[in-house]
Amino acid sequence: MQLDLQAKRSKVSAPTLVHKEKFWYKISRNRTLLLMCFPAILFFFIFSYMPMPGTYIAFTKFNYNKGIFASPFIGWKNFQFLFSNGQLLLLLRNTVLYNIVFILLGNFLQVVFAILLNEVMSKWFKKTTQSMMFLPYFISDVLVSLLVYNLINYDYGFISDTVRSAGGVMPKYYSMPGAWPFIIVLVNLWKGTGYGTVIYFAAITSIDTSMLEAAKVDGANGFQRIRYILLPCLKPTVVILLLFAVGGIVKGNFGLFYNLVGNNSLLFNTTDIIETYVYRALMNNFNFSQGSAVGLFQSVVGFAIVMVANGVVKRIEPEYSLF
Amino acid sequence: MAKKLVSLLVVMAMALCLIPAMAETTATTDYSSWFPGVDTSQHVVLTFLVTGNIPTNKTDDVLKAFNEKLTAAINAEIKIEWIEWTDWQTKYNLALAMQDGTVDLVGTATDWLDAWPNTKNGAFLALSEDMLKTYCPKTYESVSQAHWNLCKYDGQIYLIPEDNYSQWTNHGFLYRGDWAKEAGLTSGVNSWEDLGTYFQYIKDNKPGVIPWDADGSGSSYSDQMFGGWISSKTGGVNIEGFSAPLFFGKSTTDPYTLSTFYTEGDDLLNFAKLMKKWADAGYWREDVLNYTGDQKAELEEGLSGAQQHHTQTWKTERYLMEQKQPGSDLGFFWFGKESNTLVSLNITHGALAIAAQSDAPERALMAYDLIRNDQTFYRLFNYGIEGQQYVIDANGYMARPASYKDDSVDGVSLDYWWGRNDALELRSALVDWTTYDKLMADYNAVKVDYPYGQIVFNIDDISSELDNLSNVFRTYAPVITFGKEADPEAYVAEFRQALKDAGIEKVMANVQAQIDAVYKK
Amino acid sequence: MKVKEMQKNKPVFHSTKVKLDVSDRTIRGFTYVFVSIFAILCIIPFWMIIASSFSTEAAIRRSGFTLWPTNFSTFSYSLIFRSPDQMIGAYVVTILMTLIGTTVGLFVVSMTGYALQRKDFPFRNGISFYIYFTSLFSAGLVPFYYLMVKVYGLKDSYWAVLLPLLMSPWLIILMKNYVKAIPHEITESGKIDGAGDFRIFWSLIVPSMTPALATIGLFLALGYWNEWYYSSLFLGSQVTYRPLQYQLYNIINKVAALKNSLAATQLVLDDLPSETLKMATATLATGPIILLYPFVQKYFVAGLTVGAVKG
Repeated sequence: MQLDLQAKRSKVSAPTLVHKEKFWYKISRNRTLLLMCFPAILFFFIFSYMPMPGTYIAFTKFNYNKGIFASPFIGWKNFQFLFSNGQLLLLLRNTVLYNIVFILLGNFLQVVFAILLNEVMSKWFKKTTQSMMFLPYFISDVLVSLLVYNLINYDYGFISDTVRSAGGVMPKYYSMPGAWPFIIVLVNLWKGTGYGTVIYFAAITSIDTSMLEAAKVDGANGFQRIRYILLPCLKPTVVILLLFAVGGIVKGNFGLFYNLVGNNSLLFNTTDIIETYVYRALMNNFNFSQGSAVGLFQSVVGFAIVMVANGVVKRIEPEYSLF
Repeated sequence: MAKKLVSLLVVMAMALCLIPAMAETTATTDYSSWFPGVDTSQHVVLTFLVTGNIPTNKTDDVLKAFNEKLTAAINAEIKIEWIEWTDWQTKYNLALAMQDGTVDLVGTATDWLDAWPNTKNGAFLALSEDMLKTYCPKTYESVSQAHWNLCKYDGQIYLIPEDNYSQWTNHGFLYRGDWAKEAGLTSGVNSWEDLGTYFQYIKDNKPGVIPWDADGSGSSYSDQMFGGWISSKTGGVNIEGFSAPLFFGKSTTDPYTLSTFYTEGDDLLNFAKLMKKWADAGYWREDVLNYTGDQKAELEEGLSGAQQHHTQTWKTERYLMEQKQPGSDLGFFWFGKESNTLVSLNITHGALAIAAQSDAPERALMAYDLIRNDQTFYRLFNYGIEGQQYVIDANGYMARPASYKDDSVDGVSLDYWWGRNDALELRSALVDWTTYDKLMADYNAVKVDYPYGQIVFNIDDISSELDNLSNVFRTYAPVITFGKEADPEAYVAEFRQALKDAGIEKVMANVQAQIDAVYKK
Repeated sequence: MKVKEMQKNKPVFHSTKVKLDVSDRTIRGFTYVFVSIFAILCIIPFWMIIASSFSTEAAIRRSGFTLWPTNFSTFSYSLIFRSPDQMIGAYVVTILMTLIGTTVGLFVVSMTGYALQRKDFPFRNGISFYIYFTSLFSAGLVPFYYLMVKVYGLKDSYWAVLLPLLMSPWLIILMKNYVKAIPHEITESGKIDGAGDFRIFWSLIVPSMTPALATIGLFLALGYWNEWYYSSLFLGSQVTYRPLQYQLYNIINKVAALKNSLAATQLVLDDLPSETLKMATATLATGPIILLYPFVQKYFVAGLTVGAVKG
């Protein structure tokens, strides 16, 4: 029926025109759905795509008076400081490893908490703990670092005092690079778990209740219900969040690392990430172009990784892929 | 009777003397003779870009009064655009990068506010001598040709220097004179070694006090401590305009040869060893590199024995400390004292520029000329309204009226650091001027002018090396400064190797060549 | 009828009447212990912040944070409320932005999310990619700022803060994923009844996705409440009332920003904000949303359900 219509309308038989006709037909047939997407399309066009040509700034010696596009082109020079320092590998290693741990452990904990909270019957308990778990998300990195310092600093820290009054020996954490991957990961988990749990909790609550009831009737115990119903239902969400996180795997959380570690270079070996390095190198030498160059480099790497990851997911389970 | 007559005569004479003075002050409401032949028929609003926190005190009221007068004088008013300290470098540069004509006057500086990079980036308007003569006549007259020459890039003037304002931002240590005396330092702290004695005395005799409770989380300490050591021990002179204090002239007598402090010799190692010794002796806290406290407040509360900052800070702090810790007799050990090395502040430490795309550069210059040179405008802008923000006391000092309780409520803060003028400054009653003037006499005996004012370094060819050197310095310097390394000798060697790898030799050769090109003709 | 049934996607509560077996009790017992411990760990630091905000500066200088105020003092709060209109203005701006932004953003995000998960929508992959791509490549600060200020003219305008936060690729894709869990039969049944796509979305889908709406709404609201970045860029000193979190961010970061720059070594600066002031500001900026969160969530979800019934 549709094809008939198509044939009647396209009186010219040239294949390109048929294609074109089809396209417009597709548009008109989906116009409501397209219109529903239109605000978002417009939004991203205005706020994300419009500025994109400005990425050109990374290849220029930016002159304020001339504007981005009339500034002299200097090729890869703005990228040079990042590649010539001999530390890029260490920085990439740190950045990526931290992100992998954050993503895997973070999502694992969030799923666990979401499932556990779902088991709780007391509405009061559920609401209160959820609100409490959200609190760390609100505490800015500066205050978090202050809290950590107050807890573990050698001379006056809360833990030091406790350890000393118990006759123990307090380790000097701020001179121990080996301790910081653990501290940073702990802080990150502490900050993000409440927020992330909500995502999975919402996914669980939209599961059809009848499935769980049926399972119960069939005699499935708590572990089995989690294993065979809840976890499979959460899988798409997990996959999508992981895919999303992968795109930013070479981008670090500057605020967290910078505030916790600061200028304490004794710890850099295990805590220096791309962002903190760039901050040190460009501090007091203000340069928009070099900053953009680093961002572009990170985006390109992230993009390549996401394309591969999404391709793999698409091959295995097309419905789970991002696009 | 005769006595009465005499006094009457005296009073009359005084009154007669006052008449011209009064006439002059009333005459200053007419400023047409200040700028002869300039058309000011159109009202303009000038935006002044400054760094500083948005004030919550009486600044708005003062600015309103100021603008009324400015409108009457040159038919213009000033609007302040504050760049708040949080992320200020980004925001300041963004504001300049827009070049949309919304900014007119720009507060800038060559040492801490990127004046030259911004000039090169095209942010500022080149100021012709004719323009300055017509629209900034008093300023143009008061700045010497030699000083104008220091404000030129490519033969054009871009900056108006703050060159008639005496201030010293040379660094050193503020210490308690009373404790120094107790420690046997009868003439105060005069060397790094004395400082060590002072710290040790506090460590041994003042329980609960940390000799110097340094908040070492900031990166600026290492700059100052390194620079301080170099000037004290080798007489080196810091060269401004680089992202890290890597380049020093050999001495005040031979400033145009680069010091090799970083690459060879024992001075760096000696510094590292002494700081390691101090760290091990516990002169600052174990986790100093992550401590974010406030050294100034700790000193005021008697919890710390020192503060590392500059002369201007000491000037106000000494009086304050006398209130908070009576008898503290706050002293100042300035870096360079041991070798009598003292370099005056660069005259472009504060400067004014006009934005390249300013809609009204002429009026902007006129407004600046008035703020800088006219007593009424100057005092209003800097001190506020007489009787509300300040009064002049019996000794001629500036004091606070009784209604004035707190700077953050009653004060005015227009953050004018771009052209203060000694001729119009008031001496604050809250400064111990006797001691301060004594220090100034010491300074005047040894000071030399900043020797590198004529160079605007071109770093295009060495920029990626400089970035990497900056990273190396920011990585190693804090550890050396606070003696946190296990073995100073090995660590200094590692530092030197890292500098070498980052290309310090190439960069030094380049910088030396640029200096030679200007000064060794 | 079928549709109605499916709308009952209420949170998964286990019926208490069903007898608990050992595994259930193990899980439940473990849950209460584990979740409680974590929740306490989360609340202690915040409690300490509040306690220190009521201490004197000198008292917390050495000992750091404590669980109870040392030398109780309300000095920091009196400092903040010395100019109360500033604080009230900040609250009003923040609350208004949060309300407006969340409402509009939620509508657009859910609409887009629904359209993008429709398997019969041929452009869904293309549009998904179009949206997702923006999360990978951002043009960077200068081009964005340039456009916002010079082309859109949004300097010193609240729009510059309200608009960019309306949606994000992450929220849209999350929403799309949530909507996917709603059985496709609902859409099908709507089609059979002759409803248009928007009508299907508005009167059939929206009512059955309250958990998703509540979650995304929460994220949007948090985004607006915690906003400081765009405010810091675009709301300059010509704007009288800046959002709450921006003021907090400003106070807290001022010291660090200065300590790391040459300015600190060159200027004589006014007194920097004290620790207790930072804590008091943090308490004031965070407190309300924490206290209100349970209520807002409750009424928000209820409101959505009511709206859906009426629609």
